[in-house]
Amino acid sequence: MIASVIIGVAIFGYAAWALVKFINKSKKGKCAACDLKNSCSSQCGIPRK
Amino acid sequence: MEIALIGNPNTGKTSLFNNLTGSYEYVGNWSGVTVEKKVGLFKNNIGQLIDLPGVYTLNPLSRDEGVVTSFFLNETVDRLLNILDASQLERNLHLTLQLLEFEKPALIGLNMIDVANKRGIQIDASKLSQVLGVPVVPVVARSGKGCDKLVDVISTKSIQPAKKHLVYYGKEVEEAISAMTRELSGKTDHSPRFLTIQYFEGNEYVQSYVNGIANSQEINTIVANLELNLQKQAENKSLANFIYLKRKEVILRIVAEVARKSDSIIPLSERIDGIVTNRILGMPIFLLLMYFMFMLTFDWLGTPLSDALNGLLTGPITVGFEKVLEAVSASHFIQDLILEGLVAGVGGVLVFVPQIFILFFFISLLEDSGYMARVALVMDRIMESVGLNGKAFIPMMIGFGCNVPGIMAARTIETPKERLMTILLTPLMSCSARLPVYALFVGAFFAGHKAFVVLSLYVLGIVVALILAKVFSSTLLKSETSLFVIELPPYRLPQFQSLWRSTWDKGKGFVRKAGTFIFAGSVFIWLLSYAGPGGVKVDMDHSYLAAIGNMIAPIFDPIGFGTWQASASLITGFLAKEAIISTMNIIYFVPNDASLQGLLAEYYTPLAAYSFMVFILLYIPCLATTATIYKETGSKKWTAFSMIYAFVIAYVLALIIFQGGKLIGLI
Amino acid sequence: MFGSLKAGDKGKIIDISHVGHLVQRRLLDLGITEGSEVCVKCVMPFGGPVMIESCGQCVGIRRKEAVQIEVERI
Repeated sequence: MIASVIIGVAIFGYAAWALVKFINKSKKGKCAACDLKNSCSSQCGIPRK
Repeated sequence: MEIALIGNPNTGKTSLFNNLTGSYEYVGNWSGVTVEKKVGLFKNNIGQLIDLPGVYTLNPLSRDEGVVTSFFLNETVDRLLNILDASQLERNLHLTLQLLEFEKPALIGLNMIDVANKRGIQIDASKLSQVLGVPVVPVVARSGKGCDKLVDVISTKSIQPAKKHLVYYGKEVEEAISAMTRELSGKTDHSPRFLTIQYFEGNEYVQSYVNGIANSQEINTIVANLELNLQKQAENKSLANFIYLKRKEVILRIVAEVARKSDSIIPLSERIDGIVTNRILGMPIFLLLMYFMFMLTFDWLGTPLSDALNGLLTGPITVGFEKVLEAVSASHFIQDLILEGLVAGVGGVLVFVPQIFILFFFISLLEDSGYMARVALVMDRIMESVGLNGKAFIPMMIGFGCNVPGIMAARTIETPKERLMTILLTPLMSCSARLPVYALFVGAFFAGHKAFVVLSLYVLGIVVALILAKVFSSTLLKSETSLFVIELPPYRLPQFQSLWRSTWDKGKGFVRKAGTFIFAGSVFIWLLSYAGPGGVKVDMDHSYLAAIGNMIAPIFDPIGFGTWQASASLITGFLAKEAIISTMNIIYFVPNDASLQGLLAEYYTPLAAYSFMVFILLYIPCLATTATIYKETGSKKWTAFSMIYAFVIAYVLALIIFQGGKLIGLI
Repeated sequence: MFGSLKAGDKGKIIDISHVGHLVQRRLLDLGITEGSEVCVKCVMPFGGPVMIESCGQCVGIRRKEAVQIEVERI
């Protein structure tokens, strides 16, 4: 029983956090590869001019 | 210490930057422009290395290029690290001479010696150093050769600022420079000579800076006098041109002194181009390459790997989870959550990792090898006929991997209307996230013709984009100017390591999304499908999810999938296209794959399935893409337009296909 | 000469001033201007763009710009 609770809390907690983070990131227009603070990594494949 | 890394585009700046810095950070964009500012910490901690955008001259043509001049005028820089392409010395030296006129300590990294040698060009680095008055270190940025020496030389505390006046611009100009110097003395920390020459060349940023600190009238007088004096000499050339030519004379002398060219060896690059951009063969070769890429991704390599992964997931992994959950006596709720929610939702997306990575690998290969530029050349005629720029093909090709970087790649298109159109049309390129949906449905309904059907969807996306381009360019987005000048750098055999890094950088987004958003989304969707107005563990048709779906479902009746399941999936698809498949996997949860596809047959006819896929191909850019469109266009109006027109086109096309198909008896 | 472009033709640019300003400027940046020796590498079909080479540098420009460049055959 206790295992269920622990697992449940872990899953829902992580899910909520991941959801919020994703929506925030997306609103800023980053593809999911970005892990940098302010700007999108140009390794996403943007050619240098 | 602040060190600025500056050089022509395509000189290997990025490689050099990566080699010289341990870690780096993107600190956002330079203000007001789309170019990103990259600052890194030098390997031995002597200071910060600032990566400036590649430019051919300090006199900017666009706002993006203006970043460099602005930087020099307004921010502190202690040392300049100028990177040169040894195989293009003459062209590169124009920037170098301008930089040396800036009179700050400078150092040259002579890159691409290997390329120069292959072309039969030998450069005497120490001679060059002597002539220019600054240290010159030969490097091969791609391999890191010479970079240690470079770091050493930069760190040398006593680099003298280059004091030599390398270019004598003739009596009249030099007199004018002295006059300007008198006018500017005491008013600026920057070299007056530098400012003056840039002013004369027409550098608008410098012009407004100078007019801001000194008496404009005085300055205008000096310039007017100079132009008058020059008229006798200059044969109607402008002042800017005169200066350019004087500089060019000096450069030619320098090059003659330091470079030795042996007899023309036809570089391998040109021989390859002879075939690949051949009048007749160019387009067919490209199409063949695309077909090949396609078959590998879907038929020959991708699908078998994917199926194997699926087998693993629905087999040993599921069984493993079951065992563990039973061992800890987890409740039914938790068991269902994990097996029917998470494994189904996340697993359903993860099985496509092989195909995604193969696709990204090819895109990286095309980019890194230099072939992409040739594609722009080959495709330009077609693009031009619909009002687009050949350069627009590159963002679209990238868009096949992921729309977000594709849209950002549109920055290379200089003309605003063409750029806007490219941004609006790139989402029609079927991104990798839509792949899983296609794969699922073709497996269920078109098993004998998988690759063909998927190809038809990709092609449809392109055709729709071309037609819309024609429409847009004749109506909303009429543009007078079009600029098509594309540099075709020599082909490179991409090193495996850098290829892998490129592929991984692109592909990790997919995996990361699965581990975060899809995970969260699956939990959420599963919960909505588990509970309903009548309580928990309800029959799915009575769940909250069904209720939400049912509200929207009627809209989709005419196009063949007016079910709550389809609607719910499409809603989640706005947040991330992969979510469509996750949602479906959760909704149609069955113990193994074969029954899933059988199950689908109860809800869709083949025609409806195709209509559904077409709808998904076109219907709306995902949240991240939408936000990127907003960021790149800066316009709410166009962002909204991109969402609405996509939905309309998707609906209309699906309608034509479904109703049309029914009419001709294709049910 | 650029009016009758063929792959392999070589020429020296005499007058580039009739070309659109933006294109001229870009070509200048790449080192292609009056006095430059260029070689036509290939010509795309149906009036498509051309690839020209100057000093080892290959550049693609549209046909209609190329024909406005006056070149003296060498």
